[in-house]
Formats: sequence, structure tokens, C-alpha cells
Amino acid sequence: MSALELRGVSKVYGDGPTEVHALRNVDLSVEAGMLVAVMGPSGSGKSTLLTIAGSLEVPTSGEVLVDGVPVANMSRNDRARLRRRSIGYVFQDFNLLAGLTSVENVALPLELDGVTAKKARVAGMHALEELGIGDRASHFPDELSGGERQRVAIARAVVGDRHLLLADEPSGALDSVNAEAVIRLVRAACQRGVAGVIVTHDAQLASWADRVVFLRDGRIVDQTMPPPGPESLLSPGATS
Amino acid sequence: MSLALEERPSVLESGGNGGGPARRAIYLWAWRLFRREWRQQVLVLALVALAVAATVVGVAFGYNAAHSADSTFGAANSLMTFDGSGRADVTAARQAFGTIEEIAHTSIAIPGSLDKVDVRAQDPNGKFGHPMLRLVTGRYPTGAGEIALTRAAATSFNVQVGGRLVDNGHARTVVGLVENPFDLNDNFALVAPGQITSPTQVTILFNASPQKVMDFRPTGNATGIGTRGALNQTAAAAAILAVETISLLFVGLVSAAGFAVMAQRRLRALGMLGALGATDRHVRLAMVANGVVAGVVGSVIGAVVGLMSWIVLAPQIEKLAKHRIDVFHLPWWAIGMAVALAVLTAVAAAWWPARSAARASIVTALSGRPAPPKPAHRFAGAGGVMLLAGFACLAFADRTKPNAYLIIAGTVTTTFGMLFLGPLFIRAIAVVGRRAPIALRLALRDLARYQARSAAALGAISLALAIAATVAVSAAALAAPRSTANLPTNEILVYLDNSNNAVFVEGAAGVPVRTAAQTQAVQTKVGALAATLHAVAIPLTQAVNPASGTFSLDQSGPRGSGLSIRHKGPASASSSAGGIDVKVPVQLARVTTIHRGGHTGIELTGTVPLYIATPALLRHYGINTTDINANTDIVTARTDTKGLVVTAPRGGPAAPRGPYEWQPTIQLAKLPTYTSDPGTLLTTHALRAFGLKPISAGWLIQTPHPLTASQINTAQRAASGAGIAIATHRGEASYAKLRNGATAIGILVALGILAMTVGLIRSETANDLRTLAATGATSTTRRTLTGATAGALALLGALLGTGGAYLALIAWHRSDLHPLTHVPIANLVVIIVGLPLIAVTAGWLLAGREPSTIAHQPLD
Repeated sequence: MSALELRGVSKVYGDGPTEVHALRNVDLSVEAGMLVAVMGPSGSGKSTLLTIAGSLEVPTSGEVLVDGVPVANMSRNDRARLRRRSIGYVFQDFNLLAGLTSVENVALPLELDGVTAKKARVAGMHALEELGIGDRASHFPDELSGGERQRVAIARAVVGDRHLLLADEPSGALDSVNAEAVIRLVRAACQRGVAGVIVTHDAQLASWADRVVFLRDGRIVDQTMPPPGPESLLSPGATS
Repeated sequence: MSLALEERPSVLESGGNGGGPARRAIYLWAWRLFRREWRQQVLVLALVALAVAATVVGVAFGYNAAHSADSTFGAANSLMTFDGSGRADVTAARQAFGTIEEIAHTSIAIPGSLDKVDVRAQDPNGKFGHPMLRLVTGRYPTGAGEIALTRAAATSFNVQVGGRLVDNGHARTVVGLVENPFDLNDNFALVAPGQITSPTQVTILFNASPQKVMDFRPTGNATGIGTRGALNQTAAAAAILAVETISLLFVGLVSAAGFAVMAQRRLRALGMLGALGATDRHVRLAMVANGVVAGVVGSVIGAVVGLMSWIVLAPQIEKLAKHRIDVFHLPWWAIGMAVALAVLTAVAAAWWPARSAARASIVTALSGRPAPPKPAHRFAGAGGVMLLAGFACLAFADRTKPNAYLIIAGTVTTTFGMLFLGPLFIRAIAVVGRRAPIALRLALRDLARYQARSAAALGAISLALAIAATVAVSAAALAAPRSTANLPTNEILVYLDNSNNAVFVEGAAGVPVRTAAQTQAVQTKVGALAATLHAVAIPLTQAVNPASGTFSLDQSGPRGSGLSIRHKGPASASSSAGGIDVKVPVQLARVTTIHRGGHTGIELTGTVPLYIATPALLRHYGINTTDINANTDIVTARTDTKGLVVTAPRGGPAAPRGPYEWQPTIQLAKLPTYTSDPGTLLTTHALRAFGLKPISAGWLIQTPHPLTASQINTAQRAASGAGIAIATHRGEASYAKLRNGATAIGILVALGILAMTVGLIRSETANDLRTLAATGATSTTRRTLTGATAGALALLGALLGTGGAYLALIAWHRSDLHPLTHVPIANLVVIIVGLPLIAVTAGWLLAGREPSTIAHQPLD
């Protein structure tokens, strides 16, 4: 069973003369532990694909299944619960909540899911430590560097029992060193069994993915298995 | 690494909303955001606090300002008044009602004035009357030669505690200053019980059931019977309800505008919350929690500020309410309810933008784009219906016997009607500005784009200005010349003293007869008095029938027991020894023949004094002598003169009783309508045609500004030694301060709301500003944008507020629109023209800085 499956998904914005086909009949399947990179020019529908995959938007036609469960039939509350429990998001501009500390930001999805503050905080703290920023737990987002903020965002996306990680240009606002650190963290999460989809313009980052999907005008025009990159060194079966 | 939880709480299995932990997390976030962004909410907080503070002061005022029946009833529930000869009735009342308290009255004339002061013989410790007396200083009178005065009476008589006052031939020592704490306008002198031997009136206070009072049959000397009603409490409750309703409306509108602003500011954060898996309820809760915090903080601050303001203002309000006020005698339940309702209103106001934010697409929210405005016509229909319903409620509220519920319903529905019509006007102004220069066009379109919050702000501005306009128009109507006021506030009428106009013959006040030298001497003194007031004295003359006689007032009899008036014959023109000779002037009156007890006589009703239309008087009124027709006998502004004739007393005792009568030709002119003003004038043509002779009657002094109490007192003292008496404006206070104060407060509140709304709209369109700057727009364009946004919103608010206020007042005054003809032009110009100009200027001055950031800012 795929962690994420898109079947014949299309998305149309507007109507009449303002009608825009953001996605046209897209099929995509992402297995657990796999990292898929989505590339394409601006306006090709990359972000739309991600928002539909993450149940933030509803497709005009087609079907989205997360862990084999169709999203279309879910109520708004059920979709919210799906996002709390199964889907983690990472955005280009981090989108941390300004009023909460790093650990509170990470613990937030758990607390929203009914986990007590104390347990959520412990889990959040653990996630931050795993990502190497445990010492920044009590800092507010505006007291962190860009790289630290994105690490907090990744911790928030994977905390709990999430098994689908969606990242929209996660390194777009970072320098190359931080960008590589972020992709390593995403890759590491996938190696623990999380299915990942990452939207990027950067071919270097895309090379970390197991599969690269090319979008143009809302259609998947190509899919490729990239040559083994630096991440291959991290895979359990890699030979030196 | 393992990021999974070891155990899942049971609540997850229920698939609920996360229960307590989720709510806690949301509350924590909302509280942190409030603490971090309190500066951005300071205007909302200030406006909520202002509304609550105004409510507390308003409620306290409404509760305390109402005139208490205690001022006349004391601790009793019933009273009766009899004339001085009603001793038998007093005895009968004592037998009928058991314990009664008796207060005897007489009066003393104030030297130099037409007014008199009531003298009361009352026990300060009387069972029922004691609440009506309060000792200010000194002590209560106890003996025959002692008297206590109110402060105003002491000033009128120019005596102090320890001084001597001669009244009606009795010299008394002033032993104290007293007051009626429930009626500070009650101007009286107090003597010990039993010290008025020949009272003109007797009041008895007692407790009895209304039925028992009704069953009591006085012998015919009773001049008044009263039982204490519940009107005061009802009026106070209605006032409190009205104040709270209007205040809550304002809190609601301001909060709605403020929270719409806040919701837009937090839209991306709320979108992020949704992306993390927050349900719609969580998103709503985040905004509502902010509403709770803002409501509680604003209301508590407002309540504290309001109470402190009340304590500071109470002494001033005592002067306005004309009775003593205990600052802590407050309807605490109403104040508590106002604070609680303000919090609830703020929460309700936060709920609406919270609902919109929760319903918005997460992707749209994350992009920070506002939701497209809803079609304005959807609201306009409902707004129109509400406006009509509101006007109907006000029209049927019956101004003469106000129905509080209809007034409140009318006010609420009218306000909501204006609120719902707001989007239509905002759209309309954007359409009107289609061909305007780019900056103005953009500003007007931005108002339409951000319709949700600009409409709420427009509603709040309109309400604030509608209240200001209503107060200004109502105050102008109250201060306008009315037939019930005696004189304008800046006028003194000087009479030749005839002992408080005691001499009345056939309905007319007698004019003392003076020789030319005597008149000249008085003229000099009046001229000096006018000079001290920076004014000029205009001589007033009346006309007499040369055939009618001179009447003499014999002052040898005791005052208060009646005056002896003696006819001396037509030829006499000199004062008689010990008395005052008077001539009775011609007047306008309705003459009716009456038959009583086999005798036939005449009765004069509706009498109007006539003054000669001298060139000086006409000039004073701005009337050109050539404007008066050659055959006109009387010039007046009165329209109720149909059936009135010019009358003059006949000659000597041998002549038959009854006046001479002439049918005058009357011409309408713009003359004053005050009851004591010389506003009905006899022309020189009539003087000749009717064979009348002029007689000096007094002077009219008009000062450049309203007279102060001190100026009036000085004039009274000057008059008392000069053989003249003065009359000045009585009754209503000056409404100019109220009018101007309401206008200023309305404008300040409107500016606060404008700052809150315009600041946000312009900050959200910072990207447009940046684009404009990039395409070469100067700071002038940016300034114009902000100035035009503020100005347009201010102008719309002013027009809607003033228009709504006028329509509501027209509905309220529908049976008599005359009071609304007195338009407070200056106040309305300040609201309609001044406020938009201030808004434009402030926007222009505060804007113009080149935007440093683009609109799409990250959350963190």
C-alpha cells in the first residue's frame, strides 16, 4: 500500500475566461521510505500538487489516497485529523508560529491532537534533539537563524507518528550549507520509513531523491530515477 | 531516531477536536500573541475601554441625574398644598392621615429683580421633610429673629452668615446657609416652625395610600395634591438601558472592525494552524480567545477609568443635575452587567472574523490574500429594511410619552441598517472615483477590496458621528428661541420698578409714572450698567390711552397680605405719598363678554404687551422702517394673533368698566418670540391713529456673550438702588458646551477608528506602494493614497452618521419638526468637512515613507 497515491488528479482554478488548469490528470504514487522530488518551471503545478497531496485543497477531479484511505470522502474535521496524525508540512518560509517557542511549535500538532502538554513537550524536545537543536528549544522563532528555523519546521513535520512528509522548496530561503543540511534531515526521515515529497527548483537537491517527477503545464512529462548521489552513501545497503 | 509517541491519548480514538490539551495550546498561543502584539491592538483596546468608561459614566449619570421626588416629598409618599387660609383643611388632613408635617410658605421680593424667594417655616428634623434640608454652613434658625438662606438667596440679598436681612418689615439674622440636597435650584429661605404667621401657602407631607388620598375631600382651598410615583426609577432604568445598548453597539462595531483587522494580520498564521491539522473550531478559538482577552482587558480598564472619571466629574454633574450626588451611590449591577456584556460583545465581534478565517481555504490563508469581498447588494437589501424598521420604531416611540423599548429597538436596527448599507456606499464611492487620478482611484478601490473591515470601521465611525450629530442637533433645538423661554441668555430687560409688577390692571403690568428728570436720572444709571457689560441700553416705550387714569399702589399695608390699588383720575402724573403711581399701557388681548351672577363683564385673555416700534428698537432687530407698511398697526413674529385686539383701560371711576378696543392691522416680521422680549411692536402709525401717548417703560440691554451668574448679581444690586428691576434668562442651561463637547468626542473617536483601519489597509497594500515607488511614483502619490483612504472613509462616515442622525431625529420629531429647523451649522460643518480634512491631512503627514518590505512577510 502506498503512503500517498494520486489517481488522475486534475485541478482547475477559476471559470470561464479566467479558467486555469493547474493539474491535468496526474498519477503519482509514493511508497513508504521513498523520497520523490517534483521539479518543473514556475506555474507548472508543483505547489498545487503538494497542497492537494496534503489535503489542503480538494482536486477538481481524481482521487487522493493517504495510507490507502481516500481523502475525498473525508469531512473537514477528518482531513484536519489526517494532517495532525499522518502528514507533515515544511514550507519555504518556515511558517513557525511567532508566539510559540521552538519546542512549543514542534509540540503543537500533538497538543492539537489531544496529547497532554507535558507529553507533547517531551516528544517535541526529543525531536529537536534528534535534529541537533535541542539547545534552542526555548527560543522564539525570531531568535533563530534561517537554518535553525527550518530544522524546527522539519521537527514539527515529523513529530508524532507522521508517515508522509511534504516539503515545498524547503531550502529556498537558505544558503547552500543549510540547504544541504535540511535535505539530509528529510532524507534521514525517509530512511526511517517516512514517505517524502519535495518540491524544488534545485537539481542538486533533487539528486537526493529516489525519484524525480517533472511537471509542465500541470502534466507529468517525465519521471526519472536519478543516478546514485551522495545520499547513497547513507543507505544501509551502500558499499564503500 | 524515533519521533513517535510511546502512547496515544484515548481522545485520539474518538477523533475529536483534541480536547483540553488542544484548547490549552490555542489559548497559550492567543495569549502570547496578545502580549507580543498588544501595541497593534492598543487602538481596539483603547476604543473598547473608552466605550466601557463612557458606559460607566453614562450609567452612573443616568442613575443619579434623574430628578428625585425626594426634593418635594422628602420621606413622605404624599403631599397636599393649601392656600394660606386652609387651616381647617390642615386640621382635617391631620385627622384623616394621622402624622403629618406642615410647612408654611410666604415670599420675599429680591431687591432690583422681578423674582421672589420662597420663605419656609420648616422643622429641619421633621419626620417627612428632613431629607429636603441640608445645612451647608452655620446652623438652622431656631428663634423668631433668625433665618437661613440658600447660597443663591444669600447672593441675591447680598448677605452672609451673621448678616441682617429685612423681610416684609421683619429684621432677621442670617444664621446659616442651607440647601435642598435633592434640588439645588430650590431657592428659599428657612425660618423656624411657627415663624410665618400669615402664610400664603401651606404644604403638608404625610404617608397614606393613594385611595385614602383620593377619598380625602378638602374644602376647596387645596391647590395641589400629589402622590409619589415610580416614574423616576422607570426613567433611570430606561436611561441606563439606552446608554448600555448604544455603548454595546459601539463596542461591537469597534471590536468587529478591530478583529477583522487582526484576523487579516494573522491570516497566514491561522492558515498554518490549519495546515498543522487544526480544525475549524481550533482556528475560531484562536481568534475568539483573542476577543476574550481584548474584551476583558479593555472592559476592566474601561470600568476603572469610568469610575475614576465619574468620581472626578460628579461635582460638575451635580451642577448639571441640580442635586447632590453620592459618588458611590451607583447601580453596581448595571455597571457589572455593562462590563460583562462588553466582554461578550467583544467575543461575539471576534467570532465573525474568526468564522471567516476558519472557513477560508488553507492555501489562500497561507498566501495571505484576503478573501474576495462578498457582493454589496446582499447586505444592502437587509440594511434598507433594517433602516426603515428603525425609523418606524423611532417614529412610533412617541416623543411626548417615550417608549424606551421602541427607542432602543429603533436605535439598534437603525445602526445595523447603516452597518449593512456600508459596503454599498463603499462600492459606490469606488465607482464614483473610477476616473479620478491614480492615487485617489487606488485608495478608493482598496477600500472596496478590504470591504470586510472598512465596512465595520465605517459602521463604528458612522455611529460615533451619528451620536455626536444627534447631540448637537438636539442641543441646538433645545437652545433655540422658544415660546416657553422668557429671554435669551445674553439679554437684560430693565423695568422701571413698580414693586415686582404688583400692579396689574385688566391684565397689564402698570408702568410707573416718572417725570422727565426722574426718567433721565434712571436712564443714566441704566447706561452705566450697560457700559459695564460692554453693551448699549435701548429705551423701551409703551403706549397709554391719555383718557385712562393713573392708578396708585399704596404700600402702607403689610406685604403679603394684599396691596391696595386706588384710582386717581386721568390728570395726575406725580407720585402719591407713600405709593407708586402707574399708568396701564395698551396691550393686545382677546376680549370676551362674561355673565356671572346676573352681572355682565368682560374678560381679557391671551394678553400680549405692546412696545412702540421706535427706530432704535427696529434697528436693533435688524428691521428697516421702510419695510413696515404705512397702514400697519402692529409688527410681530407671532402667528397666533387672530381674534386679538388692541385694548386700553377706560378713564376715571365714573366711566364704565371695560377697555377701549381697536382692531389692528398686523404685519408679520422677523422678531424674537421669547415671552418677555419686546417682540410685538406698536407702530408710530398706530400711535397716531389710536390717539395714544408714549410712556417710558424700560430698557433692553443685549450683551455680546451669555450673561454669567456674577454679572446678573451685579446688575441686580445696581438695579435695587436705582429704582429699576431687571429680568434675565430663566431656566435652561447653555447647551453650547454640550454641543461642542459631543462633536469633539465624536471626531476623536472617529479618528481613532480611522487610524486603526487605514493603517492596516495601507500596510497590507505595501506591495502596491513598492510597485508604485518602483514605477517612479513620488512620496506625494504615497501620501495621497493614505490621505485619500482616510479622507474617503471619514467623509462617508460623516455623511452616513449625520444623515442617519437627521433621519432618526425626523422620525422622532415627526409630529413637530420645528425644533429641527435650528441647525447647528458650525458643528455639522466640523463633522462633515472638518473631519475628512483632518483625516486627509493626518494621512498625508504620516504617510510617504518608502516601504521597506514587501507585503508577503514570513510568519517568523
